[in-house]
Amino acid sequence: MSKTGKNFTPAELLVHALAIELEAVQSYKELAEQMEQCANTDVAGLFDKMAKLEAEHAEKIRDTAGNMELPELAPWDFRWSGLEPPENIDIASVHYLMTPHQALTLALENELSAMAFFDAVAHDSTDDQVGLLAQEFAADERQHVAWMKDWLAKYPPPDDDWDYDPDPPAALD
Amino acid sequence: MSAAAPCKLKASDYKSGTRPVWCPGCGDFHILASLTKAVAALALAPENIAVVSGIGCSSRIPAYLNCYGFHGVHGRALPMATGLKVARPDLTVICAGGDGDGFSIGGNHFLHACRRNVDITYVVMDNEIYGMTKGQPSPTTAPDWDTELAPGGTGVSPFHPLVIALASGANFVARAFSGDVKGTTKILAEAISHPGFSFVQILSPCVTYRPDQREWKNKVHPPPVSFTTDAAQAARRVMTDDGFNIGILYKGSRDKYGQAVERSGDFERDLHEEFLV
Repeated sequence: MSKTGKNFTPAELLVHALAIELEAVQSYKELAEQMEQCANTDVAGLFDKMAKLEAEHAEKIRDTAGNMELPELAPWDFRWSGLEPPENIDIASVHYLMTPHQALTLALENELSAMAFFDAVAHDSTDDQVGLLAQEFAADERQHVAWMKDWLAKYPPPDDDWDYDPDPPAALD
Repeated sequence: MSAAAPCKLKASDYKSGTRPVWCPGCGDFHILASLTKAVAALALAPENIAVVSGIGCSSRIPAYLNCYGFHGVHGRALPMATGLKVARPDLTVICAGGDGDGFSIGGNHFLHACRRNVDITYVVMDNEIYGMTKGQPSPTTAPDWDTELAPGGTGVSPFHPLVIALASGANFVARAFSGDVKGTTKILAEAISHPGFSFVQILSPCVTYRPDQREWKNKVHPPPVSFTTDAAQAARRVMTDDGFNIGILYKGSRDKYGQAVERSGDFERDLHEEFLV
């Protein structure tokens, strides 16, 4: 296994691509549950749809992998550009009163991060098969970016007082 | 740690069906993810893991795990975990909780758990606040954190858990950041695997009462040097850092509790085994 940079083997790239989608499915499902608990049903529904979208993408990657034997990596052996896989929402950016526009903005950022990840792999790789696979995955993410932008256009940006809660959690007043 | 242990179960298999009631954005979600990934990577069977906690937001974690769990009394998680490990050394015992539970109400137990060096892992999800009771300053709160509950700040120096753990004899000491799931997973896996008392302080933002902690993700950084096996050197390093170095600080080689008995004659071993539950 290559140790540094983005010199993946085809099997390693597939493992990373699959992990990106599966982690995103898990992350979006959990966020949907969190929003549902806070009665933010609009955003819960959006995160649920995102989970389904990422699950479909994971299936597509599985089909691409076919019968190829994929290596089993420890969680700390994945080589992400940041702290988390590129399609995981930064949980610190989440708010229980967030609006659909804000949720979709985060989702769009994720798709852009994933696209950048695969573009970087395609650019850096010296292996033709890895390059082609990475280009294919980047194209998928590019399509998701377009979808997210269309989707985002349907929701207005949040009002200035979007986080106003008449019954806030802090009992300090 | 170089290679993955053969994983029989996925991380998600270690999660129970109970939905966490933590606030959206809470760092504890990431710690739950890291812990499940760590035990999955170590291929620990759920029936051989026990997670013991005290009281507080973070102490709810046993309910969200698919293994044995004990949600105990405020500040008393460590005595419970210690007793369990001594009675059932075959189990992997993980003790979890927050900074108020562990360093204030349970502060005395923390010192002696480090000293006894029983083979357990203590995970403190530190948000520098009492979150469950709505935002009072905790032992790790900065002295100048100004709120309506503590106008002008407490003016009291914060507790330094890593230094105290080192001074008290903990055998493995590390600091992690909840938002760094990959790094936290590795640290937890190493802590669980290390013999003796392992202490991991995980900086875990409370986005509800300390929204300023959302910035922690931009403040944390790897330590400038690797871990040391010299407790005094580790203490000097951590006393002078900025509080945002994340990584393993210290790995000791002190005998874990009971190791001397294990090495000694049959009489002592028989006596020890006689009292095992």
